[in-house]
Amino acid sequence: MITLLHEFTLTTVLVRLLLAVASAGVIGMDRSYKKREAGLHTYMLISLGAAMTIMIGIYEYEMLLTQWADAVAVVGMKYDVSRFGAQVLSGIGFLGAGTIITVAHQQKAGLTTATGLFATACMGMAAGAGYVECVAIAFVLIFVVVAMMQPLETGFKRRLRNITMCVEYRSVEDLAVVTEAINRCGAQIFDIEVERAASKNEKKPASAIFTIQLAKSNPSHSDMLSTIAELPCVESVQELIA
Amino acid sequence: MLALFDPLRRITLVSTAFRLFLACLCGAAIGLERSAKNRPAGFRTHMLVCLGAAISTMTGIYMFTERHLLMDISRMGAQVITGLGFIGAGTIIVTKKNTVKGLTTAAGLWTCGIIGLAIGSGFYEGGILATAFVLFIETGFGFLGKFRRPPEFRILVHYEKKQALDQVMRFCKDNRIVINNLRIRSDAGAGSEDASLYSAEIALHPTKSVDRTLLLDRIVNMAGIDEAEEI
Repeated sequence: MITLLHEFTLTTVLVRLLLAVASAGVIGMDRSYKKREAGLHTYMLISLGAAMTIMIGIYEYEMLLTQWADAVAVVGMKYDVSRFGAQVLSGIGFLGAGTIITVAHQQKAGLTTATGLFATACMGMAAGAGYVECVAIAFVLIFVVVAMMQPLETGFKRRLRNITMCVEYRSVEDLAVVTEAINRCGAQIFDIEVERAASKNEKKPASAIFTIQLAKSNPSHSDMLSTIAELPCVESVQELIA
Repeated sequence: MLALFDPLRRITLVSTAFRLFLACLCGAAIGLERSAKNRPAGFRTHMLVCLGAAISTMTGIYMFTERHLLMDISRMGAQVITGLGFIGAGTIIVTKKNTVKGLTTAAGLWTCGIIGLAIGSGFYEGGILATAFVLFIETGFGFLGKFRRPPEFRILVHYEKKQALDQVMRFCKDNRIVINNLRIRSDAGAGSEDASLYSAEIALHPTKSVDRTLLLDRIVNMAGIDEAEEI
């Protein structure tokens, strides 16, 4: 059954395209459902294009063996079937770069969108080559990772002792107060980055991003946030989870 | 493959004209739909991309089969795929709300270019099938992308002791509501002395649809919570 797809005929071309579009469509539907930037259409289009690149390569190779064989007889054979497909990787890499943006507090967004598209393009290429076994397994894996693993990752991050938080405060001296409070909790500070310096003229409070490791004895994130918020000089505190 | 196209597999004047026209046609068909939706890249852009891509593969084949130059005929065409990735990245814009726009346009333009490559290399069947698929994806599948999960919403909870906040967090966890963000603000000194001390802005993401007023009601009735409202 699968070996039937190895031939390169109009029917197998159609089946391969269908395979590429349908598998990407299911992943894309989940992305649409979650209101991500790349949804159903984007996933289907990219998978379709990727499948086509491989088939163009195969087609040209077949032509060199049949219709264009006279030229090959004169000049010699020099052809790389994978060249079209290989460019998909860098092409989608660029496209993905456009989806990654820096949002508030130096956090990045769109990474899963970019990498999901990349993996889907690769799956599309496998479909274009008629590599059904790989498409079937890759489809399940990509779907599970993209669609189901986010709560797992967030939950994991919330259980980690490492925490990144953004603290808003009024004056320069307050930074030391916050630092002291964190130390008093037994937490270790890895990095403090002042996002906005304190100034008397501005109404906006100053803010800094703390990267800390909580004490083993009390690794609760919300406890730490509450403790910081209880300081009189702190305007607001917020945990940053990518 | 269809025997119908066999006379057009070689590079001749007729097949050159046929490929270029077909590339324009397929580009226009895809682009027209984008134009109708008033997207940044319309049918002229798509036609040009498709035409340019077709020319690049045709030139490769021409140099090999007609001029007998030893070369890899796919090298020129292959670079189109990267090049269009660049152009696509340029069409993506970041809006003020920190979301990305134009990704579907970029993907469509990229696929359109690949269709051009197929037509240029004489792979008419693939090019036409792919065009049909693109049109089908862009027009027929819209409804599938319209299923959306319940939206995120933010609530503001005023409380005095941090135990109260823990209670709210536990309540959300028990009800399978994901807490996307938590921002605690100190309200001390803002109002009179018996005003609540802290307010927590919590971004909630329900996994299934919930009655928000009922949810807020439950939170307000907890011990130590002074006030809860939706933002």
